[in-house]
Amino acid sequence: MIKKLADYLVEEILQESDLVLEPDEDLLSTGLVDSMGIVRYIAWISEEFDIEIPTEDMIIDNFINLEAISRYITSRQA
Amino acid sequence: MDFRIDSELQESLDQLAEFAREKLQDDVSRRDRVGEFPSDLWKLCADFGIQSLASTLAYGGNADTIKLMPSLMAMETLGKHCSDGGLLLALNAQMWTVQLPILDFGTEEQKQRFLPGMCRGEIIGSHALTEPEAGSDVYSMKMTAEKVEGGYRLNGTKRFITLGSICDFALVFASTNPAHGKWGITAFLVPSETQGFTRGEVQQKMGLRTVPFCELQLKDCFVPEELRLGKEGAGFAIGSHSLEYDRCCMLAGKLGAMERQLEQTIDYVKSRKQFGQKISSFQAVSHRIAEMKTRIEAARLLLYRTAWKKDQGEKAILDTAMVKLMISESYVQNSLDAIRSHGGNGYLEEYGVEKDLRDAVGSILYAGTSDIQKNIIAKMLGL
Repeated sequence: MIKKLADYLVEEILQESDLVLEPDEDLLSTGLVDSMGIVRYIAWISEEFDIEIPTEDMIIDNFINLEAISRYITSRQA
Repeated sequence: MDFRIDSELQESLDQLAEFAREKLQDDVSRRDRVGEFPSDLWKLCADFGIQSLASTLAYGGNADTIKLMPSLMAMETLGKHCSDGGLLLALNAQMWTVQLPILDFGTEEQKQRFLPGMCRGEIIGSHALTEPEAGSDVYSMKMTAEKVEGGYRLNGTKRFITLGSICDFALVFASTNPAHGKWGITAFLVPSETQGFTRGEVQQKMGLRTVPFCELQLKDCFVPEELRLGKEGAGFAIGSHSLEYDRCCMLAGKLGAMERQLEQTIDYVKSRKQFGQKISSFQAVSHRIAEMKTRIEAARLLLYRTAWKKDQGEKAILDTAMVKLMISESYVQNSLDAIRSHGGNGYLEEYGVEKDLRDAVGSILYAGTSDIQKNIIAKMLGL
């Protein structure tokens, strides 16, 4: 799941296909992914993994890095 | 998509139009000139059920759920039949950026404490997001909320706060974790009687003069844990969520205002004679009015389609940005065209069209400037 998340993020959102993201790399507080970028990314995650993402879940703990996002998706699918 | 209105909704909109014409139009020019907020009309609006559109039955609302389409049609009707743009701005600001976030993210206790009173017009809430150094870049805010025993201590200044001078509480956004940037922002409900809560002078404005704007200063304001709205760090999500409703309904009022402006302009050019004929017979005039009408209809379709998407539970960030851009810029252009069509008379206060232009300029600035809307649209297109 983490590879799929990383591939979409670097290719479609960041548009830097050479970029290599570590699973624990901070995506948000560093500004790597901006606010519109994360909104688009969350919309894609919701559709791709067929989960509903309530607005109140859009907090840093759930989206700070690829590991956290993967954990969050798994919890929503459960 | 089907935008036909059923007879029940049409009847409600007709009653609202009659209410607005009979009760809300009184003395608008004088109040605009002196910058007076119509507290009595605010209460009348509440008695009619307008503020209740942004709540649900359990908390003083009119229905089990909030539907955007009928709400924005109500705002469009109000905009058409009430020329007090300041009052409409005030209503929308409270309804969609204060009531709605409390309804969607508040605890049961918070909903019971604030929503019924706001629906009855007895409590006024303001939305405090913008800061002196955080306008378009609003989430780079400096206001902090330090965690202390039992709650938070807030420090900082908010700017351009609609209804700030008369609010009973403010929905305040502050950073609980500055290292996390916009992801460290948290929302709080801060009663105005809180020690350290002070209001600045009411700021004089180009338009929308009947609604007060002012600064709010919070100095060592203690806010108990139970008045935090949503989770810590959810401020960015809460603020973004309400903006979609705010942009649609706020701009629906402008659409109604453009419709009123068009009708007034058509009446004027059909009665005004120059060079021995009605000025409506000149293509320079009639083509301008044709463009005004086209902008209104294009804007309405974009607005209704966006509301339809929201009512289906879909995200509409791109759509609401286009709605905000389209309607606000159309309102400015149509206001200028209305003045041009009125000639010198359009420059006079008594014809009312100059006030629309002053109000319209505000709409390309608040709730995200047109440049910001274009940024959002471009980003959502992957640019």
